[in-house]
Amino acid sequence: MNGLQIHKAGIASSVQDSGRVGTLSIGIPPSGAMDRPALMSGQHQLGHQHDEAAIEMAYADFAATLTEAHDVVVTGAPVQLRINQQACRSEGVHHIEAGQTLEVKATREGIYSYLHLSGGIMTTPQLDSRSTSPREGIGGLDGGFLKDGDIVPLGAPDKAVGAADPQLTIKNSTTVLKLRFVAGFQFDDFADEAIRSLLAEEFTVTAKANRMGVMLNGERLHSGIAALYSEATCYGAIQVPPDGKPIILLNDRQTVGGYPKPGAVISSDCLRLAQSRPGQRVRFAVCSPEEADRIGWLEQHYLETRLRDRH
Amino acid sequence: MDFELGPAGEAAMRLVFTGPPQPALTRALLKIETKANQRFGSMLTDSVIGYTTLTLFFSASALERDRTEAWLREQAEAIALTDDSDPKHSAADVVLPVLYHPSVAPDLEWLADDRSLSIDDVIALHSDATYFAYATGFAPGFCYLGTLPAALRTPRLDTPRAKVPAGAVAIADAQTAVYPCESPGGWRLIGACPEPLFNLGNTPPSRLSVGATVRFEPIDEADFRALGGVVA
Repeated sequence: MNGLQIHKAGIASSVQDSGRVGTLSIGIPPSGAMDRPALMSGQHQLGHQHDEAAIEMAYADFAATLTEAHDVVVTGAPVQLRINQQACRSEGVHHIEAGQTLEVKATREGIYSYLHLSGGIMTTPQLDSRSTSPREGIGGLDGGFLKDGDIVPLGAPDKAVGAADPQLTIKNSTTVLKLRFVAGFQFDDFADEAIRSLLAEEFTVTAKANRMGVMLNGERLHSGIAALYSEATCYGAIQVPPDGKPIILLNDRQTVGGYPKPGAVISSDCLRLAQSRPGQRVRFAVCSPEEADRIGWLEQHYLETRLRDRH
Repeated sequence: MDFELGPAGEAAMRLVFTGPPQPALTRALLKIETKANQRFGSMLTDSVIGYTTLTLFFSASALERDRTEAWLREQAEAIALTDDSDPKHSAADVVLPVLYHPSVAPDLEWLADDRSLSIDDVIALHSDATYFAYATGFAPGFCYLGTLPAALRTPRLDTPRAKVPAGAVAIADAQTAVYPCESPGGWRLIGACPEPLFNLGNTPPSRLSVGATVRFEPIDEADFRALGGVVA
């Protein structure tokens, strides 16, 4: 079988494409690549047209052998790349021969890196996506994170024409990351003091961060809201549990929740948060829905411009 | 009925009614959801009904805020809640077999003792009622069912169990539910249902959906095993 034989999977590697649409109503989160521009960058460089999945690696510590020759690209958080025990530059497309070994190791920046392979990953899609939702056991390889010894099936490398690196790597702020959010949900019901703290204080990203969400540390937010009827969550929702430590919900979030939420961080800033290491300082700022629309439109335009063919 | 409209992040609108949950409200939310699907077509990527909320998710940049809000306001204002009764005595849409026995229900004896009831009383109370599906979520196929008879209402465990088995029939506050798959959980477990509640191979994948009425049918251990149930 044409496959990627994994020797070392690392702490949280999984098959991800751009995720699912329309499954919230049956309780399944969208999942998909935490760093969507990184996914698109790799697809672009290999000439992929069909939302081919990549292997997402958190704090990459990954080693695998290819049973057949493929082109590969690594995107997202910067890594050290070794092919057949030879260190090589991590950017750009690399041709790897059958039997050669590939090692990907995280550097000190970012969290999620993506290994893209020509021909694409050929695990069976579920609900129109190959993305893994580990909690639900859906998608990917047997619904879970990749393990040492797994063999990820690959498609035959096609004659797709790749393109130049669109330079979409997220460079996080070395000082304070701004988290702009659209106020909503229970914003008006939150205790004034909690909203004041949310807007005035600085928070830091904790180690309690994964594909479901990122917990922040800082001034405790006491919403003063006792109990809520369960309702839909959304990408970026700022969930405030009774302990007062806000959690920003991301790709593998529960689709419904009963904790108070003063709003939701816009997706552009969520991507940067997802790629932030523990200790990253963040600050919240309210953003009107119209401003969020403008930022979204500009980001989309920027992506499309970068992803125009440039050979 | 009073309601509020607002954004749920960048690309979703949230309609919330300020009164208590009731089946008539859920039915009204289901009607608005159906109309929204007709009105917005493929621009509407998803919708989620909560106890008192309807959240509509749009594809990025397809949400026209003013027009969508005006349309939702019109729908919400038109709601007339005629039937606000719990469906206590109506025929249930779904009947789920349940083995109520301490071997599969670690909190059953505790609950009976705590309420000075016999286990048979607990079984009768839980299985005589017809429940209404107010919301789905927590896990695929998980459905919040209400309303639990007052005599059985109990708070969640202080420390949730790390592992609740698939099929566990559970209660918390005024709600009851069946865990569709193994997961952590803080609800009290009083029975086990041998029938699967979620299967991606089925259309729809979930046995229960919002607005359904549900009843539990006590079965014995032989029937439980025959239906595929496993007793530890």
